[in-house]
Amino acid sequence: SQLIHLQSDFKNQRQASMDLDISMEDETEERQKIDPQEIYDLIAHISDPEHPMSLGQLSIVKLEDIKISDETDSPETRMKDLVIQITPTITHCSLATLIGLGIRVRLDRALHPKYRPTIILKPGTHQSENQVNKQLNDKERVAAACENEQLLNVIRKMLSTCK
Amino acid sequence: MKLTLKKSLGAHDGSVWSLSVKKNEITGHPLLLASGSSDKQVKIYSLTSDNYDLYETLDSSVHRKTISSVSWRPNTLNEQLILASSSFDTTTSIWGKEPTDSDFELLALIEGHENEVKSCQWSHNGKYLATCSRDKSVWIWEADEYSEEFECVAVLQEHDQDIKNVAWHPEQLMLATSSYDDTVKIYIPYEDDWECVSSLEGHEGTVWCSAFEAGLNTDSTRLVTCSDDSTLKIWEMIHDGTDDNEGQIWEVQSQLPDYVHSRQIYSCAWNDKNGLITSTGADGKLVVYKEKGQRGSGEWDVVAELYDAHNEYEVNCVIWINENTLATAGDDGSINVWSLSD
Repeated sequence: SQLIHLQSDFKNQRQASMDLDISMEDETEERQKIDPQEIYDLIAHISDPEHPMSLGQLSIVKLEDIKISDETDSPETRMKDLVIQITPTITHCSLATLIGLGIRVRLDRALHPKYRPTIILKPGTHQSENQVNKQLNDKERVAAACENEQLLNVIRKMLSTCK
Repeated sequence: MKLTLKKSLGAHDGSVWSLSVKKNEITGHPLLLASGSSDKQVKIYSLTSDNYDLYETLDSSVHRKTISSVSWRPNTLNEQLILASSSFDTTTSIWGKEPTDSDFELLALIEGHENEVKSCQWSHNGKYLATCSRDKSVWIWEADEYSEEFECVAVLQEHDQDIKNVAWHPEQLMLATSSYDDTVKIYIPYEDDWECVSSLEGHEGTVWCSAFEAGLNTDSTRLVTCSDDSTLKIWEMIHDGTDDNEGQIWEVQSQLPDYVHSRQIYSCAWNDKNGLITSTGADGKLVVYKEKGQRGSGEWDVVAELYDAHNEYEVNCVIWINENTLATAGDDGSINVWSLSD
């Protein structure tokens, strides 16, 4: 399995978008399209921070809870919305934010930058739903978290099981 | 009106978060552009020619983490150039250059915040530097004329959550702070201290940035704010509170056209000469608004808009360089300079 280097510099991040065989230059329309299954495959193997199981095995991420905006939604822009709903195993799961952060980091590293992931808890599955959602989608907080060594080590471990 | 890309500077190896322009104090001509990035670097570009040449990259060993914000000090002695840059590493650095020096040097490193400093800005008179952080506090520092000694004159803890941005009024001592708690607070000096005189509530998400309208001679004070809720609001101070100690009262005068932005709006700026407002954000759109008819009408039109200002990347910051030139900073590591024409 390939370890994603979180500390990788910007150029390597760009390189990481090759993960999906999507090149930054000369991309053809076909190549740009990805489907929910591909997103699922990227994140399902992330390890749960406290169980020896993956997010897919624990049904924290599910294929049917991954939505990608249609080409025709907003023809003016090249950006694409991607919404992933996660289902924590328990409603007071203290690690929901960490799991969400792991997914975000994985996607930011692996996907072409045109994809704008929104990661939210599935409605009704967590007691601090709004708070967690707000944190997970605040790019500045995410950027700051990704400069925190301790947190990075945990995420690195979670992502070490990704293919 | 039309926005045209004038120049794209492949400035940084990481997201660019902040820009600041230094103008000639007398003529108002733009001189230098500073940028701060996730690559932990601050770059300075010369604006005196159309080439936007790189003037200097500041010593990158000073900050250990992302540079979140940069701000030029106005009103300095003897054409001295002074720049503040704040970082996620909790510190704010002060850089200076005398006209006879060839390079900028580090004059001071300001410590005090518990965690990431998100924004820093000098007051219009160059006397104070405000900084804000995820630690929920805003600090106001009084600087000596050499920018070497900084005394903390106020620690303001009015917000419940991290503070994203500090913005001074361009002509008076009034500070606005925008926060993750969805509010904006206004502060003014009061006796020997600083006082929070108003809390602007109305946004339904993090407020990322605010900008005051210039013009002391106008009969009202206005502020534009932008938010995660994809809206911009223009607030008007309808009661200044000086006669009754009840604080200032601000009301929403307008909400800039709905459905212009589809995602978080990270940055907005108010042009001090022609009154135009610009905004940008996570949807990568760059937009310019103009007030209909007379100033204060409260009705605004979109006069220019452009998708994918930094290709498919998000745009973190927009500033006015002059009446018809804008600069944006993106997650693609570049700085784009735009001209606005009829």
